[in-house]
Amino acid sequence: MSGAPIRPNGPQYSRLLVYAALAIGVTTVGILCRRTWPGAALHAILVGAVGDSRSGHLYAISESLVSACPLLLTGLGVVVAWRAGMFSIGAEGQLLMGALAAIATAGLARNMPGPVLTLLMILAGSAAGAGWSALAGWLRVRRGVPEVISTIMLNYVALYLVGLLVEGPLQESGQLAQTAPVPAAAMFARLLPASWTGGVPARLHSGVLLALLAAAACYVYLYITPEGLRLRVLGSNPEAARTAGFAVDRIRVRAMALSGALCGLAGAIELAGVAGRLYPEFSPGWGYSAIPVALIGGLHPIGTALSALFFGGLAAGCGNLERMTGVSAVLINVIQAAAVLAVIGVRAWRNRSAGAETV
Amino acid sequence: MEEPSGASAPRIEMRRIVKRYGPTLALDGMDFDAAPGEIHALLGENGAGKSTLMRVLAGLVRPDSGEIALDGRPVGIGSPTDARVLGIAMVHQHFTLVPAFTVLENLALSAGRDPMRSIPVRLAAEAAIERARELGWTLDGNARVGSLSVGSQQRVEIVKALATEAETLIFDEPTAVLAPPEVEELFAVLRRLRDGGRTVVLIAHKLAEILAVADRVTVLRLGSSVASIRTSDTTAEQLASWMVGAAPPAHPAADATPSPRPAVDACGSADPRDLLVVRGLCVAGDRDELRLQGVDFQVSGGDIFGIGGVDGNGQSELAEALVGLRPAAAGTVLWRGEPLLRGRGISIGYIPQDRRRSGLALDMTIEENLILSAIEDPVNRRGPFLNRRALRELAAGLASRFDVRAGSLDLAGSSLSGGNQQKVVVARELHAQPDLVVAVNPTRGLDIAATRFVHEQLLAARDRGAAVVLISTDLDEISALCARAAILSFGRLQPFQVGHVSAADLGLLLGGIATRRGAI
Repeated sequence: MSGAPIRPNGPQYSRLLVYAALAIGVTTVGILCRRTWPGAALHAILVGAVGDSRSGHLYAISESLVSACPLLLTGLGVVVAWRAGMFSIGAEGQLLMGALAAIATAGLARNMPGPVLTLLMILAGSAAGAGWSALAGWLRVRRGVPEVISTIMLNYVALYLVGLLVEGPLQESGQLAQTAPVPAAAMFARLLPASWTGGVPARLHSGVLLALLAAAACYVYLYITPEGLRLRVLGSNPEAARTAGFAVDRIRVRAMALSGALCGLAGAIELAGVAGRLYPEFSPGWGYSAIPVALIGGLHPIGTALSALFFGGLAAGCGNLERMTGVSAVLINVIQAAAVLAVIGVRAWRNRSAGAETV
Repeated sequence: MEEPSGASAPRIEMRRIVKRYGPTLALDGMDFDAAPGEIHALLGENGAGKSTLMRVLAGLVRPDSGEIALDGRPVGIGSPTDARVLGIAMVHQHFTLVPAFTVLENLALSAGRDPMRSIPVRLAAEAAIERARELGWTLDGNARVGSLSVGSQQRVEIVKALATEAETLIFDEPTAVLAPPEVEELFAVLRRLRDGGRTVVLIAHKLAEILAVADRVTVLRLGSSVASIRTSDTTAEQLASWMVGAAPPAHPAADATPSPRPAVDACGSADPRDLLVVRGLCVAGDRDELRLQGVDFQVSGGDIFGIGGVDGNGQSELAEALVGLRPAAAGTVLWRGEPLLRGRGISIGYIPQDRRRSGLALDMTIEENLILSAIEDPVNRRGPFLNRRALRELAAGLASRFDVRAGSLDLAGSSLSGGNQQKVVVARELHAQPDLVVAVNPTRGLDIAATRFVHEQLLAARDRGAAVVLISTDLDEISALCARAAILSFGRLQPFQVGHVSAADLGLLLGGIATRRGAI
C-alpha cells in the first residue's frame, strides 16, 4: 500500500491571467495618473458617472445613460448575430448606415410633422442597418464569404460613404463637412427639465427608453420565441440545427438582418437624440466597443444592458476625468481591454474546471 | 478483492480513489490494479465510473483523494503530459483528433511538436501509418480527419496511442463503432500488445467481448469496484449480475412477435402496405463523391427494417437522404406514394449517428434540448411566443418517462453522461409518435439498461404502426429487432437473412461481396 498523495491543484494559468489583466489595468491607471492621486482619478471617474452630493446625481447619470445608449443597441446587435454563430464585426458600419439613412429621410421628409418624421427616421435607420448586415449574411450563405471579413470591409465602405455624402449631396451649404440638422421637432424629447439638474440642460432623451425596450425585446426574442430558440441552437451547434431540419441559411440571414437593424437603430437614435446632424467622425467607435460590451454581458441581452450601463458610466466618468485632471479619456480603452481580458480569463478558467465533468 | 495468483507486481495500483462532481460521487474510494502482459477489462453501466477512473489514470481528471503507484513506485499524475511521460496512453471514446488536420498531421501532433515544420516528426507519423498497415489498416495519411468515417477516425486514434510507445494502453469502448471482422482484428492487435508485455485496459459493455479477449475483469458499480476476477473463472451471467446488482431480465426483443412479412422478401417487389419506398437512390457525400449507388428497399407500417454494415459505407448519407436532409442525386424516396418532404404531412423521428456532433446543442440546457422539435406544435405556442409552462411540463414529463438522469433540467446538456444524452435525443425524437423513425447506431456506447430502453422505444414505435429504419453496425442489434434486414457496403444493399447467415458469409457481405441471391 505505498503511494504518494496525488498532487493538489496545479497552477491555474487562466486565473493568473485574470489577476494579470486587473493588475495591468490598475497599474496603467497609476501610470497615467502620475500627476494626480490614482484615488483622485478614480473619484473623478465616479463623479462623472454618477455624480456627487455637491453637483447632484441626475446630470451625471443622464450623461452615463446617454453614453450607454449606442453601446447598448450595438451590443444587442452583436448578441443577436453571435448567438446565431455569425461573428459579425459590422456594428460600426451598420450604425453609420442607419444614421445616414435617417438623416437622408430627415432631408427628404422635412415637412412631415415631428413625431412622424422621427418614426420614419427610426424605420429608415433600422432598415438600412438591416440591409447592410443582411448583405454580409447573404454573402456568407450564398457565396461562402466569411462574415468576419465581409462585415469589416462593409464598415469601411459605410465610413467612406458617409464621408463622401456629407461633403457632397447631403452637405449643408457652408464649409464644414456635415449635413443639415435634423428638424428640431423631429429630435427625441429631452426627459429632464433643466431645473432638475441645476440649470444645465441634461441630454437624457427618450431614445434611451427605446434602447432599454430593445434589450427587453431581444430577451423575449431569443428566449421566448421559436425563432430565438432555433437561432441559439444554430449558434451552439450548427450541425445539430441542420440535423433538426432548421432552415439554417434563412436563420443566419435573419439573425444578421436583426443584428443590423439594432445597430442601424443605434445610429438613428444617436442622430435624433444627441448629435442632430451627421459628420464623418459621428461615431467614436461604438460599433467596435459593442463587442466587449456584449462579451462582458455574457452575450445575453440583460447582461449586455448592464455592461452597456457600466461602460456608458465609464465613458461619462472618463470625460469628467479629462476635464478635471487632464488625464486623457483614452484611459477608457485601457479599462475596456483589461475587462475583456479578465472575462476571457475567467471563462477559460471555468471551462477548464468544467471540462472534466463528463463522467 | 484478491490479487491475481502468480502475477508479478502490478504495473498499476490505484488505491481509494475518490472523485466528486457536485452532488455526484463518481468514484467512491475505488481500488484498481493491473499487471504487465495483461488485458484487463473494466465493466460497468454508464455512470459506474469506468471512464472517470481511467481519466484519472490518464491525467485528465484530478481525483479528490487517493493514491496511484506504477511498478510499485508512487506517482502523481497531474496532467496528460505526466501520463505520457509515465508511459500511459488513452484511446478515447470521443475522439481527440483535429478534424481540419490530415491524418499525418494528427499523428505528428501527438508526438508533441509543430506538425507543419518538423520533418523528423513527419517521418515518425509515417512510421505510425506503416505500423497501422502491419495491423491490417490502410490509412491515407493525407486525408483530412474530418472527412473520415467514425470507424476510420477511431483507427487513427488507436494508431496515435500505439505510436507513443506507451507501456499502458487504455481503450475506452473501442469496439462500439466496429463491425465484427474489425473487432476480431482489434482483438488480435490487443493480444499482440499484451504478448509484448504491455498492460491493456479495456473499458467495455459487451460481456461476450470481455470474455473473448480479456484476461481479467474488474466490475464497477456506482463508483466502487464490485469484483475483480480472471475471465476464465467467471461467466457472462455472473458478470451481468455483478454489474447491475441483479440478473438482467431477458431481452425484450427475444419475445417480440416477428413481422408478418416473410424475411426473404428483404428487397423485393412493392406492396400496397409499404409506407416508405426507396427506389434507385443515389446520394452524393460531402465531397461530391457518390456514396449510395442505387439503393432499393421498402418499409411498411409496423415494421423495422435493419441496415447493417461498417460505418462509412454510405450509412449517414442514406439516413440523411431518408429524412430529407440530403438531396438524392438520382432515384426517389416515396412516402405513401408521394415524394418525401420533411414537415409536409409526415412527422419524422431522426436519431442521428453522433449525438454530440449532430444530436444536441451541448451548451444549451437539457430542457431546451428536449423540446427542440416540440416547438413546432401549436399546443406549445402562445401566439408568436413559446408557451414556456407547457414546454417546461413537457420536458419534465419526458425526462421522467425516458429516465433522463439529471440534477436539473436547467443544466447544460454537456453535464449529462453519454447514455443520458442519448436518452434526451431518443425522447425528443420519439415522444411525438412520428410516422417514420430513422435511427443510426442508436445504442452506440450505451450500457445494457439504456440499450434495452432504446430498443423498447423502437419496438413501441413499431407496434403503434410507424415505419422504422434501423441503421446499425451492431448486427446483434439488427438481429434482435428486425425481421428484415440488409447490409450496406460500398454504397449498395445486399440482402441479409436475419439469423441465417454464417460468420464467413457475413464477412463477405460486409466486404461488399454478394452471396447467394446476388446484388440487388
